[in-house]
Amino acid sequence: MAVPPGGPTITGLTEAEAKEFHGIFVTSFIVFVVVAIIAHFLAWQWRPWLPGPGGYATSWLNDAGGLISHTISQLV
Amino acid sequence: MWRIWLLFDPRRVLVALSIFLFVLALLIHFILLSTDRFNWLEGPHHGATAAQMAPLPSSAK
Repeated sequence: MAVPPGGPTITGLTEAEAKEFHGIFVTSFIVFVVVAIIAHFLAWQWRPWLPGPGGYATSWLNDAGGLISHTISQLV
Repeated sequence: MWRIWLLFDPRRVLVALSIFLFVLALLIHFILLSTDRFNWLEGPHHGATAAQMAPLPSSAK
């Protein structure tokens, strides 16, 4: 087994292996964060989770007309 | 930054991270399901939020 140039490491990985794994890890992490941001954006569109000073605006939940107008106002 | 993988075993990190993120996601989803506003299966029950936000009935006479 080849001893890495910097001497044996704790995990046994060579520097090249560590760099290779790091590239995959960072790429995967960025993809994960982007998916999470998209999910949070959609969830906020669905129902924001920070109420204003007057509480959540829930009047649009009371009847179908309010729901429709609210949905249209969200889309436009 | 890549030197972290010389200190921590990548396999263990991946397993630990996967379990942690999965349990965290499960926890958050169940918390959201337990609320009235963010329950996406039952939907908001009319008046339930108002009942939650109302002060408790005073027991002191």
